[in-house]
Amino acid sequence: MPKLLIVDDEVDVREFARNFFKRRKIDVVVASSGEEALNILEKEGPNLMILDIRMDGMDGIEVLKRMREKGNKTEVIMVTGVDEKEAAEKAREFGIIDYIHKPLILDELERIVLKRLLKNK
Amino acid sequence: MNLFSLSGLIIIATCSVLLIIIFIFGKNRLHKIWAIFNFVVIIWGIGSFLVGIAKTETSALFAWRLAFLGALFTCVFFYHTVFIFSNTKKRTFLIFAYTQGIFFAILTLFTNLIFDNWRIVFNSIYYNRATLFYYILLGFWTFVMIVGHYKLFKFSRNATGIKHTQGVYLCFGSFIGHLGGVFALLPAFGIDLYPISNFAIPIYSAIVTYGILRYRLLDITIVITRTGIFIAVYSLVLGSPFLIAYSLQTYLIGYLGENWWFVPMGVLTVLATVGPFIYIFFNSKAEERLLRTQRQYQNTLRQASSGMIRIRNLRELLNLIVHVITKTVKLESAAIFLLNSENTHYKLAAKRDSSRLTKDFILERNSPLIKQLNLKREPIVYEEIQLQIQDNPRDSKMAALEKQLKEINTAIVVPSFVGNRLLGFLVLGKKLSGKLYSQDDLNVFSVLANQAALAIENAQFYEDIKETQEQLFQAEKMATIGTMADGLSHQVNNRFQALSLIAGDSLDILQTIEDSKISSKVKDSLSQLKHAFERIQANVIQGGEIVKGLLKYSRPGQRGFEFVNFNKIVDGALEMVQYKVRLQELDIKRIIPKDLPKLKCNLTQLEEVFFNLIDNAYDAIKERKEITAEEGFKGNIIISAVQKNEYLWITFQDNGIGFKDKDKEKVFTPFFTTKATSKKGTGLGLYVIQKIVNFHNGTVSLNSTYNKGTRFEIVLPLSKK
Repeated sequence: MPKLLIVDDEVDVREFARNFFKRRKIDVVVASSGEEALNILEKEGPNLMILDIRMDGMDGIEVLKRMREKGNKTEVIMVTGVDEKEAAEKAREFGIIDYIHKPLILDELERIVLKRLLKNK
Repeated sequence: MNLFSLSGLIIIATCSVLLIIIFIFGKNRLHKIWAIFNFVVIIWGIGSFLVGIAKTETSALFAWRLAFLGALFTCVFFYHTVFIFSNTKKRTFLIFAYTQGIFFAILTLFTNLIFDNWRIVFNSIYYNRATLFYYILLGFWTFVMIVGHYKLFKFSRNATGIKHTQGVYLCFGSFIGHLGGVFALLPAFGIDLYPISNFAIPIYSAIVTYGILRYRLLDITIVITRTGIFIAVYSLVLGSPFLIAYSLQTYLIGYLGENWWFVPMGVLTVLATVGPFIYIFFNSKAEERLLRTQRQYQNTLRQASSGMIRIRNLRELLNLIVHVITKTVKLESAAIFLLNSENTHYKLAAKRDSSRLTKDFILERNSPLIKQLNLKREPIVYEEIQLQIQDNPRDSKMAALEKQLKEINTAIVVPSFVGNRLLGFLVLGKKLSGKLYSQDDLNVFSVLANQAALAIENAQFYEDIKETQEQLFQAEKMATIGTMADGLSHQVNNRFQALSLIAGDSLDILQTIEDSKISSKVKDSLSQLKHAFERIQANVIQGGEIVKGLLKYSRPGQRGFEFVNFNKIVDGALEMVQYKVRLQELDIKRIIPKDLPKLKCNLTQLEEVFFNLIDNAYDAIKERKEITAEEGFKGNIIISAVQKNEYLWITFQDNGIGFKDKDKEKVFTPFFTTKATSKKGTGLGLYVIQKIVNFHNGTVSLNSTYNKGTRFEIVLPLSKK
């Protein structure tokens, strides 16, 4: 079963996104902070990660930077609330597969996620 | 020498001075004729002087012939003056007047038909007894005079303005003068009245010369009053010692002996000293009565001008000025023009009852009126300009000025200077009473206008400060909003995100329910729920768009300015917009010259402008299709750009639904949208466009007809650096 990591400090986002993807036979793990995300990455080794940029504490860019420094090549979809050009460019430097804006429609996210995970299978 | 010859000398002196004045200042035919009139009066003066000193019948005859030569032609030239003054065309009577003048002149000079039968009157003056021809001569003279006066009276009564006033001067003057002349002849008819009235003749000449030469005349009542008081006072000053000397001489000699003349001399000295004060006293008292209304409004205006400086609201101040002037002076109209902030032209700033001036009436800096105001720095009186043109019809500068004054429908224009700068001017219409503006009026208006200039400058200064403060405040507010918007939008987007996911997930759950296992009633409820969740999603997306728009507005210019080809901007916008708009549904035509200079701008922002414009046009076109359902209608957009001086003029035209008139004013207001369903528009598109264009020091305006289309005009400066 493909494994998806959702990193977001919003409890509702974590809950409903997890429910949604679970129904699509995807193993979903969630992290509410950057630190937690880095732990899970190491332990669980997910195939794909949805990473929010702006979070309390460690932000998404920092998480991305640290995991890449550790040599973790997990595919990442960045999610942003505001149009931040700098952050987006930085994220691209670290290698991400997509960059999407909030608020997003689940169908759209599903399309991207399923495409990546099915390809990996 | 006696008083009669003295009066002759005074006539000679006065009229000679007047003759010189007319030669210096006179310009037209009227002035020339009036100069000749003065000349014949001089001849009469010489004649009467000689009559006064004549010691023999022979010398008296010569003197009277000379005097009559002058007198005969006074009526001729008086008529000629009236003839020109009233623009008479028919010359018959003029020729008659000259003919009879010449005829009687010959009779006077070369025959004894007029003068005969001498006697000495008042112990000193030779008078003849009137002969038959004397009667005939005087009859003709009086006839010509009466015809002249009748003509003058008729013309003046119908004339307006300065012509009317001049006519009154002429009438009044000739009445005094001719009466004076005729009275001097009474002894010839056996009425022994001393010819003292001869003194009135120079007064006559002076008054009429003044009336003809000056463009701006004193009120005639003032002239009469002043002359009257002057004569009364100086008759007293000169007459009392004379009377004392004449009637009390014997008594005084008996009492004082040789030094008797000390008394009349002393009286003369005392009276001559107090004379001017008496004159001034009576004169000011009289004028106070005569000019009561004028003085009243002049006082009001003076008070108003000192109070103006305290008003800081420019609009209020300007309205007050025109209001005060029209009300207190009772004018048909009043308006104020002010120099605009770019110092390029004078614009109508306030007006009252001057219907001919439209709201945006403008006078360029190099227009004739402005030039003249700068040159003369004093009020311009329309009638004077008209008269100057009459005197000098080839003066094209004056003609242009006259045309402009006529265009703004003004009687006088009063400039407002601050230092050397013409800040603005008052444009005043006629007085409701029909009276002319006096010199006093103009003085008061000038003071008012200059006070107004200070007050206006003051008010402008305050408004500038207020505006700067407002701008600062606005900038601060925007900065705060910018920071706030950033954090806020993150928060709001997170809420939207959660909502979207909740709705999406719920929808997903609903979709997993198998249709076959449930009743139709439940099915119905489920489909309603589905719809509800879809609506939540749609609203979330739209909310997200609004947040995005707000962010764009609060964070101008993420990238710097660069030189960009206008085509590139349109390309960029089209590329962006194709994800939202089906471009193949539109005919997009570009009219953009290849050699257009590059625009210094923020590319992203200008792309945003055209993105929004195309997006709007697309929606407008779609709406027109839906509403009008015209056959064969195809949406089209024309984007064109041309260089005009240092500006790029861009027009963006579509054939969409257009704006209704009532909406046009509001289109640039944030959160205003006319799009058919509010879910389509955020109401920020045009607002953002305007912000961005203004940020580039440009302007945007639109012209729209409902059901026909909309045309935007964007003007951007082409900077060279």
